[in-house]
Amino acid sequence: MSDTAIPARTRRFRISRKALPYVLSLPALLVCIAILIPFFTAVAYSLQRYRLSQPWARRWNWGENYWDFLFDPSFWNTLQVSLTYAFLTVGIELLLGLGIALLLQKRTRFNNFVSIMLLMPLMTAPALASLMWKLMTNPGFGILSYFAAFVGLEDFRWASAPQTAMLTVVLVDVWVYTPFIMILLLAGLRSLPQQPFEAAALDGVPRWFVFWRITLPMLTPFLLTATLFRAIESIQQFDIIYAMTQGGPGDKLTVFQVEAYLNFFQSTNVGRSAALLMILWVITYILSMIFIKQWLKLRERARGEI
Amino acid sequence: MEHTSTLEKALRGVAITCVILFFMFPIFWIVLMSFQTNETILRVPPSIIFDPTIQNYVALITGRLETSAGSLEINFMSNLWNSLFLSSASVAVGLILGVPAAYAFGRLKFRGSEDIAFTLLSFRFAPPLLVLLPLTIYFQQIGLADTYFGLIWVYQLIVLPLILWIVRGYFEDIPADIENAYRVAGHSWFSTFRKVALPLAMPGIAAAGLLAFIFAWNNFIFALVLASADKQPVTVGALAFVTASGIQYGQVAAGVVLSILPTLALALYAQRYLVEGLSLGAVKG
Amino acid sequence: MSIELSNIRKSFKDNVVLEDLSLEVATGETLVLFGPSGAGKTVLLRLIAGVVDPDEGSIRLGGQDMAGVEPEDRGIGMAFQNFALFPHMDAHANIASPLEARRSSAQEIDGRVEDVSQLLKIDHVLHHKPKELSNGQKQRTALGRALVAQPSILLLDDPLRNVDAKLRFEMRLELPRLLSSQNATVIYVTQDYKEAMALCDRIAVMSDRGIAQIGTPEEIYLTPKTIAIARLFGDPSINLLDVTPEAGEEGPYVRLSGAKVPIRNGYGQAIGKDCVLGVRPESIRFVDAAAAGAVPVTIEAETPLNEKTVTLAVTARNREILISRPATTPGPDSNDAHIVLEPDGVLLFDRETGARVETEPATAAGEAA
Repeated sequence: MSDTAIPARTRRFRISRKALPYVLSLPALLVCIAILIPFFTAVAYSLQRYRLSQPWARRWNWGENYWDFLFDPSFWNTLQVSLTYAFLTVGIELLLGLGIALLLQKRTRFNNFVSIMLLMPLMTAPALASLMWKLMTNPGFGILSYFAAFVGLEDFRWASAPQTAMLTVVLVDVWVYTPFIMILLLAGLRSLPQQPFEAAALDGVPRWFVFWRITLPMLTPFLLTATLFRAIESIQQFDIIYAMTQGGPGDKLTVFQVEAYLNFFQSTNVGRSAALLMILWVITYILSMIFIKQWLKLRERARGEI
Repeated sequence: MEHTSTLEKALRGVAITCVILFFMFPIFWIVLMSFQTNETILRVPPSIIFDPTIQNYVALITGRLETSAGSLEINFMSNLWNSLFLSSASVAVGLILGVPAAYAFGRLKFRGSEDIAFTLLSFRFAPPLLVLLPLTIYFQQIGLADTYFGLIWVYQLIVLPLILWIVRGYFEDIPADIENAYRVAGHSWFSTFRKVALPLAMPGIAAAGLLAFIFAWNNFIFALVLASADKQPVTVGALAFVTASGIQYGQVAAGVVLSILPTLALALYAQRYLVEGLSLGAVKG
Repeated sequence: MSIELSNIRKSFKDNVVLEDLSLEVATGETLVLFGPSGAGKTVLLRLIAGVVDPDEGSIRLGGQDMAGVEPEDRGIGMAFQNFALFPHMDAHANIASPLEARRSSAQEIDGRVEDVSQLLKIDHVLHHKPKELSNGQKQRTALGRALVAQPSILLLDDPLRNVDAKLRFEMRLELPRLLSSQNATVIYVTQDYKEAMALCDRIAVMSDRGIAQIGTPEEIYLTPKTIAIARLFGDPSINLLDVTPEAGEEGPYVRLSGAKVPIRNGYGQAIGKDCVLGVRPESIRFVDAAAAGAVPVTIEAETPLNEKTVTLAVTARNREILISRPATTPGPDSNDAHIVLEPDGVLLFDRETGARVETEPATAAGEAA
């Protein structure tokens, strides 16, 4: 019967097996390579004296932009403000996110509903979230200003006052991003094997002990991934701060990207702006290398569970 | 948990209530505000009892704002349209570029594929201004400044890594032998990709598309730096809207509500995939 | 269509799976690839199918070199071990896929799918998706997909592995008929020696990155090349005893528990060497103590296995021996019994290399005369 077999039809056009993956990924690569060019341009800018207002004075000054930072109090202010912001937001979000995840750990209908509702802030554009909180803290009609006055804080000016500006933007960040940590930790908590907990419950091990010795260690990969992810984004935060105060009052909130933005567009100092961003890039690059390691471990695990 | 005491139950209840209050109240309050006139908004003490009005929404949608100072043109709807267009087009381009690449990375595995995939991933974490600032200068030189094309291109920075890494995971989950079987049956790699790999990875592709849309919609910094007023999405437009004189607060609130509504709706629709998407495929929900 | 593999080498990263492997399968022949898991059987099928490429060596199908020929152009039917059904298509579409690739008309496709599914008794579940099918139906669907286009080469990768014992038994009876009706060149991979013995013209035993022995089922059963191959076939497995053949007046013999057990004259060359004696359980008989070459044993246990009864006995030196006899034959009266080895059933292996000691043909012929 093999003589009656139908021959496979032959094809004229074909991409060779070796070339195929390159052909498939090439368009995506090209788009991204085109984006790498500005990155290298930024490196070059950071090594130049370059002001948009004085194009004629543009020249290479090599490390001068960086060297100047050492004696530049406004740079140290930027570094300090950025780090303060990152530590405060990530710290508070981690504690709060873990707490909420523990509260919602049991798979009940109510808990699932709440956890989905809590995603809403996270899905709100950070810039718009800032706008919402700006309305809420408006001295004229803001509900939070009213509450502040109600508890005796007359004329509490939130983001407009130097003392409370940081607190206000941190609050917005916490509002937006705590659900991110919460949802990752919740998924983590719910994926943990149950045996150790059942065994501990049978042996009557106290709950705080179970938490410190079983829950937390097993949750560590999720905690690390969530923390690093947030740290990388937080140290680069721009949307919330810019939308809220544009870095003010004064230089109270001039984090890296806001300072770089203002340097570029207001003082037109391209060189300094680029140098600031390079320093930020180094920080985030180191963080993201650590992050990717953690993230890959989790990813392997998630893939293995299928 | 049969050991839970009444006290603990009460404490849990209080804690959950506080959590819900903190995270839900701002949205609730903004929605209320969007149905109020300036008079009721400015009332002291604030009250949740008022005569709701839809005039704020009407004003935004018709583009005409009647104020005491007279009538004012607003183009909030064009911002909304820009958001919709930029996000959809970016996701479409991202899918066209990203899905084949995800297949190459996930299934074919070639020399250097991991390095390239990680380089693409690292774009996700680089400070956006680092690329954007030189790009403003380039875009001006090559005529891409303030064009949809230029914006959509730059949006790939957030859209592509997301699509690539989520969809890749879905391709990896398809047993290789299913595709092998289709090839041996006599089909070219392309029809195997189209008839087997794509349909089987479709849930992942849809999830990645929805998430990428949300992230593109919520983006602020790209358009702030690269777009002028007529190309701006709502995130940037709404901000300018507040500072415009004579604006009524109810309309700002209505604008915010209209701007966050699409992403919230999509998120609720796609919530099953959110965890996976937010962690770029590292955690399953 | 014939299959010729020459000097194939295949490795994955540092792990060499196949080394210098050559194999020829004639047109219309059914060859079983048999061997333990990890011996490279599946890889060999994938190489032939074109799903993976060899590092070295050539693959020729019907005399044509397959280098650079894509799997879809090789005209092969293949059934995968895990079925590899397309989960988003129903059974009909699964079976029809090779015909669609060949641009058959809708009418012809329906006709052929109908024929094949009737043959395989799955015509009533054609509209079911794979996840609605039982394992047996999945397996038949996968088989149907491999057969439907009547390919001249069929590669079946352990198709009965993931089905239950009852179905495996039925299919083992059915498959030879099915395969012979196809008239195709078949390579069939299995880990089950009974399946191997039942199906094929020749068996290729794989081990150590290559083919250890190739021959008819009888050849491999009766004259295995090495101890390892001898162990792979037969249930219960072959008895292996360390012996050193000695020269006697009536020819060579070995000592078992003091008794002189004669072996074939052809084994003269093995005299004085360290050997392993291999004897299949069914080549051992219970006899009276007075019989020539009778070896005294103590019976430890008896296990009836349907058509045969297997006895575990130990010799005076505490070596275990399995004896198999037809269930209808009565066993020994007491636990102290005597056995003899049928001289034709005795195999000798070199203890160092594990290779079987060949009998010398001249003397073997003389013995027969």
